[in-house]
Amino acid sequence: MNPHLDSFAEILDEAALNRRAVPRLTDTAALDVPSAYEVQRAVIERRLARGETLIGIKMGFTSRAKMVQMGVDDVIWGLLTDAMLIESHVDTADLIHPRIEPEIAFLIDRPVRTPADAVDAVGGIAVGYEVLDSRYEGFRFTLSDVIADNASAAGFGLGPWHRPRDVGNVGMLLEIDGRTVASGSSAAILGDPMRSLAAAARLAEAAGIELQPGWVILAGAATAAIPLPAGAHVRVSAAGLGRAEVTTR
Amino acid sequence: MTERHQAAASRLLEAYASGSPCEPVRDLIDGADAAYAVQDLITQRWLSEGRRLTGRKIGLTSAAVQRQLGVDSPDFGMIFADMAVPDGEEIPVGAVLQPRAEAEVALVLEHDLTHERHTVADVIRATAFALPAIEIVGSRIRGWDITLADTVADNASAGMYVLGTRPVPLRDVDLRLAGMVIERGGEQVSTGVGAACLGHPLHAAVWLADTLARIGRPLQAGDTVLTGALGPVVPVAPGDVLEARIDGLGDVRAAFAHEAPAPQEDM
Repeated sequence: MNPHLDSFAEILDEAALNRRAVPRLTDTAALDVPSAYEVQRAVIERRLARGETLIGIKMGFTSRAKMVQMGVDDVIWGLLTDAMLIESHVDTADLIHPRIEPEIAFLIDRPVRTPADAVDAVGGIAVGYEVLDSRYEGFRFTLSDVIADNASAAGFGLGPWHRPRDVGNVGMLLEIDGRTVASGSSAAILGDPMRSLAAAARLAEAAGIELQPGWVILAGAATAAIPLPAGAHVRVSAAGLGRAEVTTR
Repeated sequence: MTERHQAAASRLLEAYASGSPCEPVRDLIDGADAAYAVQDLITQRWLSEGRRLTGRKIGLTSAAVQRQLGVDSPDFGMIFADMAVPDGEEIPVGAVLQPRAEAEVALVLEHDLTHERHTVADVIRATAFALPAIEIVGSRIRGWDITLADTVADNASAGMYVLGTRPVPLRDVDLRLAGMVIERGGEQVSTGVGAACLGHPLHAAVWLADTLARIGRPLQAGDTVLTGALGPVVPVAPGDVLEARIDGLGDVRAAFAHEAPAPQEDM
């Protein structure tokens, strides 16, 4: 790897470890999208070297509004490790400026060799949440910055798995301490979260990564991300899929 | 005071008649009651012309719209039989001034709701079935430059409405978590959920039932209630075809006619 890109990975990894935001990489250097994904991979390699394992993929910019806002016409993706899985608590002091959003998640239960396999490979569907935490100051970034920063991935949690079903237009709520703070439909995820799964398979194939049995695909958010406060109880729910919950410290 | 209300009603009726929007009417109206008085003058006029009242629409049901207008309560307007368009049938250009579309849950009643205060149970018992609906709202006021008083006087910005055709009993649908999507020519233009309408479309219906009973004109068997938008309103242009889908209720379409070709001037 270009040592320049490796130093970017170190900056981002250290930012996460030290919970200190850093200036955007693109403030001082040119970074195209392929190079940004190289930085992302290098950040993940550093985590794997610390003993974490890959357990899935997260999709970003899956809403029309977000694509327009970022001036892009394709989704982006990031990688999920086992250390990012949240069981029931998250300490906001471990994060820089966390946000949370409701997601639809797919459980892969067969290897996906081509994008055409993706839909058949789904063993389960759940409602979940993603905790986002940009490593950049002010949660502001360009497309290349956010890709390098693993698509702002920080953590995620899941509700109970359900058998595969149509989740093309299910209502979703994000509640904090019992009050609805965001609501929407899963249709906001590329028109149908299943399309996001197909896009994940396409991007993974292009990157030479095979989706593995047991991996989780976070398809994208149904609403805008909301700042995650400390000392709160957060619940996401989706029609027919139950709920996922997290308590913050 | 009534003279000023008459003037406000005349201004709005003139906009309907001429097909060109008017100035706001808030200068002639003090408070919500006065605005409803203006709305009622217009309603009485229309009833005297033989139009058949088919129900009510509820507006200002989303937190975002309430914030925007600085209000903390919904409003209501009248819907008439000649405002109803069959699913997918073309809506002529100019049928609604400054049209916009939103997807809603429609409730059709089989019992009157005459109590002073109603519960969700009263509304559920009184509801024969729900239908998916597209409401084409419009404003007679230029540029949608409205306050609460303007929109209430202007029949809560009602225009036309399209009902879906497959009735669904309330026991078969979770209206709170029902997803909503509107597509224009296959492109997604709005998404939302039942809970975005005052927390639950039935809560909006309870508010309406109470409000109408209080003013002595309760909801009646056969009435259609358009309960309020489930997501952001969509601007519409001639030639647009919108399809709304509400999970558990089905789909419904609003098709807007193309602009009539401009008259040829040469030759």
